[in-house]
Amino acid sequence: MKNKSQKKLEQTVSRRFLFLSLFKGSIIGTIGWKLFDLQLVENRKYEKLSDNNQFNYRIIAPERGRILDRKMRLLAGNMDGFSLVLNWNKYLNVHQIIKNISTIIILNEKDINNFYNKIRYQKNDFSKQILITKKLSQKDVAKLAVRIIEFPEISFSMSKRRVYPQGIIAGHITGYTGPYSKNIENTSLHGIDVGRRGLEKFFDAQLRGEFGRKRNEVTSKGYVIDSQIYENTKPGSDIQVSLDMKLQAFAVERLQRGNYDLVFVDNKNIKNQISKLKNFSYVSKNHVYINKKKKVVNPQSGSLIVMDINNGEILCSVSSPGFDPNIFSKDLEVDDWNYVKNNSRSPLLNRSMAGVYPPGSTIKMAVALAALESGIIDYNTRFSCNGSKELGTSKFHCWAKDGHGNLNLMEAIEQSCDVFFYELGLKVGIDKIALMMRKLGLGQYYDIQIHDRAKGVVPNIEWKLKRDGLNWSLGETLNASIGQGYILTTPLQLVTMVSRIANGKFAVNPSLTISSEIKKFKVLNINNEHLNFIKKAMEKVVVGKKGTAKNYKIGSKNIEMAGKTGTVQVVRITELEREQGLIKNEDRPWEKRDHALFVGYAPTINPKYAISVVVEHGGSGSSVAAPIARDVFKHLFKL
Amino acid sequence: MNRNTNKFSSETMITVLFSKLLKINWIIILCLILLGLVGVASLYSAAGSDWDPWARNHLIRLIFGFFLMFVIAFIPSHFFIKYSLLSFILGIFALILVKFIGSGSVQRWISFGSINFQPSEIMKLALILILAKYFDHISKIQLNKLIPYIIPILIIMIPGFLVISQPDLGTGLTIILLGFSILFFVGISMKFVIFSILISISSVPFIWQQLYEYQKNRILVFLNPEMDSLGSGYQIIQSKIAIGSGGLFGKGYLLGTQSRLNYLPEKHTDFIFTLISEELGFLGSISIILIFCLLITSIMKISFKVESLFSKVVVFGIGFLIFLYLSLNIGMVCGLLPVVGAPLPLVSYGGTSLLTVLIGVGIVLSINIHDKKV
Repeated sequence: MKNKSQKKLEQTVSRRFLFLSLFKGSIIGTIGWKLFDLQLVENRKYEKLSDNNQFNYRIIAPERGRILDRKMRLLAGNMDGFSLVLNWNKYLNVHQIIKNISTIIILNEKDINNFYNKIRYQKNDFSKQILITKKLSQKDVAKLAVRIIEFPEISFSMSKRRVYPQGIIAGHITGYTGPYSKNIENTSLHGIDVGRRGLEKFFDAQLRGEFGRKRNEVTSKGYVIDSQIYENTKPGSDIQVSLDMKLQAFAVERLQRGNYDLVFVDNKNIKNQISKLKNFSYVSKNHVYINKKKKVVNPQSGSLIVMDINNGEILCSVSSPGFDPNIFSKDLEVDDWNYVKNNSRSPLLNRSMAGVYPPGSTIKMAVALAALESGIIDYNTRFSCNGSKELGTSKFHCWAKDGHGNLNLMEAIEQSCDVFFYELGLKVGIDKIALMMRKLGLGQYYDIQIHDRAKGVVPNIEWKLKRDGLNWSLGETLNASIGQGYILTTPLQLVTMVSRIANGKFAVNPSLTISSEIKKFKVLNINNEHLNFIKKAMEKVVVGKKGTAKNYKIGSKNIEMAGKTGTVQVVRITELEREQGLIKNEDRPWEKRDHALFVGYAPTINPKYAISVVVEHGGSGSSVAAPIARDVFKHLFKL
Repeated sequence: MNRNTNKFSSETMITVLFSKLLKINWIIILCLILLGLVGVASLYSAAGSDWDPWARNHLIRLIFGFFLMFVIAFIPSHFFIKYSLLSFILGIFALILVKFIGSGSVQRWISFGSINFQPSEIMKLALILILAKYFDHISKIQLNKLIPYIIPILIIMIPGFLVISQPDLGTGLTIILLGFSILFFVGISMKFVIFSILISISSVPFIWQQLYEYQKNRILVFLNPEMDSLGSGYQIIQSKIAIGSGGLFGKGYLLGTQSRLNYLPEKHTDFIFTLISEELGFLGSISIILIFCLLITSIMKISFKVESLFSKVVVFGIGFLIFLYLSLNIGMVCGLLPVVGAPLPLVSYGGTSLLTVLIGVGIVLSINIHDKKV
């Protein structure tokens, strides 16, 4: 029995039932559409995101290529190194683990500190591999390996360490490698080194090879549960350079010795002297140099380069003091770094290519060539030297106090008469001299495989106007004519200059690489007769009776060297000082002594090699630099 | 049914029982079994191909739950009318009790020994029963005026706010939604519906102020999950990645990377559907939804068929409850709704929602068996 209102209610309920069914249907429909959208329409996007979750990719470093010298001796190679890593997660009792490991092997304190620093960096709770030490010996590995079951959290990783077997001998040329990124949080690039200096930097792309990738399957908390090689590495290619490490080693020793004597550190006097010196460098562990006055001295600083005059290959390039690139492939020790960084003689400076020096008298060939080429003088033009030349109110001195008398160009070069070249300079003018200097390779960069290099300065009228807004003065021409004043050259430029003179035909450029093809150089474009005349004069420097290097002949029947000495004043000598008598070079503080230079080539007939020797504050070119050059040539020609 | 059956021999008892069994809607049972087994299989996968810690327990709970469901199915339906008020009062009492002795940082559970019991879930059933009883009773008098709705609104709002203050926004809102859907079902006037919608919209700023910081956060993150991709937004982003990467056929059973590598949060409880979607793909997830739809429509069919208003309302309420579970859970995991904490009954690990649904379906079955014109 239904009353009216009940009937009405039933109708309402039925209507509402239908309405609610529609409502439910539409909600379910929306959900279905959303699932369709997520799983089918946007499937690609989410698949990629899921992959990103599932995998992470770690870069694997390829084995770096080796650097070899011209006779395939190793300059830079790789050594197996073992690293110890902790598979860290935040629940580990790190201190206890380190303590336990320390009972088995000795851990470096610095490594431990670094390790704790890295732990402190971990802001999230993702697990990570954290390096404990890179310097694990084979013995340590063996000791730990047998007890590895006690340390489920640690693992070994093998890595290659860069080694430079030649050490300090060629540090400037090989350069060194360093970590890809300084950011220690970026663990994915951990263990990947790139070239930072020298050949390592220049040839980085070839040496480095191609990175591989490892694919790790990781959980949301970073645990690696599976790992496989995803892309293989491609090892870097080897580089062969033109250096001859035997010659280089000889040259380093010879340059550093200068005219000093090697002594064994045994007596108290020597030990006493050493303790008073700052930044002192030993020759070897127990040897030091002493000078003629039996005083302990640092090895000579400077540069020595030997270059093939026909193809420009550099056989040796010494910069003293050197540095050992091996200190950079380990974790850099503070002591090592302080030594190279704070040493007043800047061992990191590659003096051969980036050091600039006034060329002194070694420039005289260029001035003479400028004069001959411009036709201002001939071989017989004579000037007379009485020890100085007056120009306006200033007096320009010759190195020989009493002068050289009346001489021609050949004699002037042989005896390195300054006054003759003052006269020559005045006649030719600075612009023509500068042109010749550039022709011979000064004041410019070369396309050489080392990034640190200097351009030097070849001054002319325009250069000075541009730099100082001042007019060129004739006195400055006089200075430039004897390689002083504004002019600055690198040892590499000097050896290139000599190579071009000795070559005579081509403007040779220096190179550190070996190529079997004959290199093409620009034509030098200097009258050959003039060049031969200059070469004759350079021979006279060594063999002539009055030659500045007459004491340092090679003395072989077949092979003799030719060259030019240079002694570069580094402080201005006042007239007063001159009157009071010059202080002897050895008695001045080291920084105020003259630079000793020698440039030359050998043999005199059919020249093959050019050399430049710069001994910083070494004294006179004839007594210090020339014997070094002679000995290097002797070694080179096996005499 | 006839109370005097016990006078007869046990043979008649069996025939009665058998006749009741025949009346049981086997489609509903089949749906429940399918969903339960999907749950067991998913939990096995979630544990990394292991019966422990979830799959075995879930199976045991299912067996117990089904047993309980059948027992309830044989209880005559007037029994529910009789005890609806008592169950509601007990439910309210339990909700108040949970405030004082509840365990966990959020007070939702009452522990009996090792069994944790969530009174807010049972409250859903009690609410359906009491509302059904109320409207059944009131329909015999009059129903068109607005005044009779004041009591049911109180009946809805009291447990609703008790649960929200636990704090459990998800369940609380479910209770309120469920209650109002019943009000709507029994024919509350459209004017009132529009009026209450306006009221609730205008009260949003006020409610916002009352919310806990984490609740506000969840809603903000829902609106823009990338806002906090490692914090609160992490769950929903990873869940969407898992569902989306499943594609049409899925990554294969036991092969879901998101779940295997632990990127899925709560993969065994509220986010179980995500795991299924990842491993079984669109086909799998749609199948689950279709099974639920079949279950809900079968229940709704009963609601349409039965005569008494009480039965109609109860069956509708239980069907709607299952619908709410389904849409809240899946809406949440696929990013349509904020993360409110809603289980997928029978599939998710967790006993309370499973029991709620099985008891609820037990009542539905009982009504289906015993319903007659009142």
